[in-house]
Order: sequence, then structure tokens, then C-alpha cells
Amino acid sequence: MQVDVQPIINYNLCTKCGLCVTGCPVDALHMTSTGPVLNKPTTCTYCTDCEGLCPTGAIRTPLIVSWRDNLEK
Amino acid sequence: MIKAELFENLHFFSKLDTDTLAAIVQRAYQRNISSGETLVIEGMEAEACYFILSGQLRVTRMNKEGRMQVLARLGPGAPLNIISLLKDQKTNHASIESLTAATLLVIPAHEFDFLLNTYPDFSASLLNTFAERMANITNLAADLSLYTVRARLAQFLIELADQPQTAGGWTQDEIAAHIGTVRDVVGRLLRDFESQGLISRERQQIILLDKQGLMKQAE
Repeated sequence: MQVDVQPIINYNLCTKCGLCVTGCPVDALHMTSTGPVLNKPTTCTYCTDCEGLCPTGAIRTPLIVSWRDNLEK
Repeated sequence: MIKAELFENLHFFSKLDTDTLAAIVQRAYQRNISSGETLVIEGMEAEACYFILSGQLRVTRMNKEGRMQVLARLGPGAPLNIISLLKDQKTNHASIESLTAATLLVIPAHEFDFLLNTYPDFSASLLNTFAERMANITNLAADLSLYTVRARLAQFLIELADQPQTAGGWTQDEIAAHIGTVRDVVGRLLRDFESQGLISRERQQIILLDKQGLMKQAE
């Protein structure tokens, strides 16, 4: 599984509320003293649920939109 | 003092006289901001206008319930907060925040007034920019009132894929705010497009598969 792209966590915005950790459907996130970390990157499916759950916008899962033909070139 | 080489090739400045550019150098300064920083807050006193030298910022309006509408997402060369300085009541017309780390050329409000009143080429370039921005806002208003959310999302996906330089970095929240809906609806429609074979999703990639089908959705 491609894991080079992962959710981006902005620790300046994170309040460590833990919603992303408890809401992650595959338990890929773990809370530390500095905030959540993706401790199981190969488990993360990039479902973007963590971004939707974060009340402060501290987690971003940006998407890239492309035509299939352009990817095949 | 900011160097003219940093901005003189940007679209807005490219047709200005050397005297005008020199006047801007004397009156403007450079500011660096980090990702996620709020540059301008809607309703507050307008203190300056800005030109993006690098990075991406978004212009938004928000209602009392916190629902956001993204008016524009702008990159290098784009001016910001111009309308606020042109109004009689100089308050910020919208909020502006950085999506990436960014470098800005800052022209304070009183210096902006001086440049506007003293250098006709500056005013003409401003008018040109203003017309382009007005056209974009008119298109946005038409899209919001004339098309369904499904059609707006299909249009937006086509638009992003046709402009690869701006295609990266849109979250579902940002897409929702741009097309005037909420994240859940965007997620549901993306799943719907996927089940119809119009798109496929692979981790961070949304791959558009069926151009004709998407264009039909966009009608």
C-alpha cells in the first residue's frame, strides 16, 4: 500500500482533544504529549475521517484531482 | 526595503513604469507568514493590501453559524484586500488566511491611497485586476444560484483537473466551502460519482475517469 502521503497534523492548532484518535476506524493514530501521531502509517487508509472529526482544522488530508489520461502519460 | 526584482515580473506590476515601481519599493515591505495564519479578519479595520509573492491563501466569508464560503483561493501575483481599501468605510470585506507558508508584499492603507492618486498606471492596473476579480465573483454567484451541488462539484473537479498547477492540496472541507455546501455532502457525492464509474479514488488521488459523464453531471 502506498503510504508516502499521510494526514498532515498542525500542532499549533491541535488542542489534543483526542477525537481523531478515538474516531480513526483503523486505530492508526496514537495520542502523545505533543498531540496525535500516525503510529501505524501502513494501516492508515487515508479515509479522511480524522480531518472531518477535528474541531480546529488541525488535521488536513488534501486531495489531488487528475484526469486518468494525464496520469498515464 | 523590498527589492523590485521580487515583484516586478508579477502580472499586476509588469506594465508599471520604473518610477511607479520605485515608489512601491519605497512604500511597501515584505512579510512572511506561516501556514494556517489568519492575515485579515472580516469586519476589522483594513490596514493594508497585499500581493502574494509565494504561497497560497484563501479569501472567505462566514455567517453567524460558522458556515464558510470560500470566495477565492489565490497564488503568486494575486492582490488581496483591495476592495476593503477602496470602500469609503475601510473595513475588511472578507477574511484571508494562508493555506501554505507565504511571502507577501504589503502596502499600508495610506501608502495605497498615495499610489492610487499619484500614479495612473498603478490605478489602471488596479482597475484591470478589479474587473477580473468581479468577473470571477459573478461566475461564483451564478454557479451558486443556477446549479445544483452535484453539478457544482462536477464542475469543480473538472476545473481542478484541467489546471494541474492548482489541483493539489484541496481538502473535502475546502472543496465544500468553495462550492457552497458542507463536507458530508461532498463525501457522499464523491462516493456516488465513484459508484457510477465517473471517478476513482486511490489514497489522496481523485482520478477522473469519464469526462463525458462528469460533464453531463455538471450541466
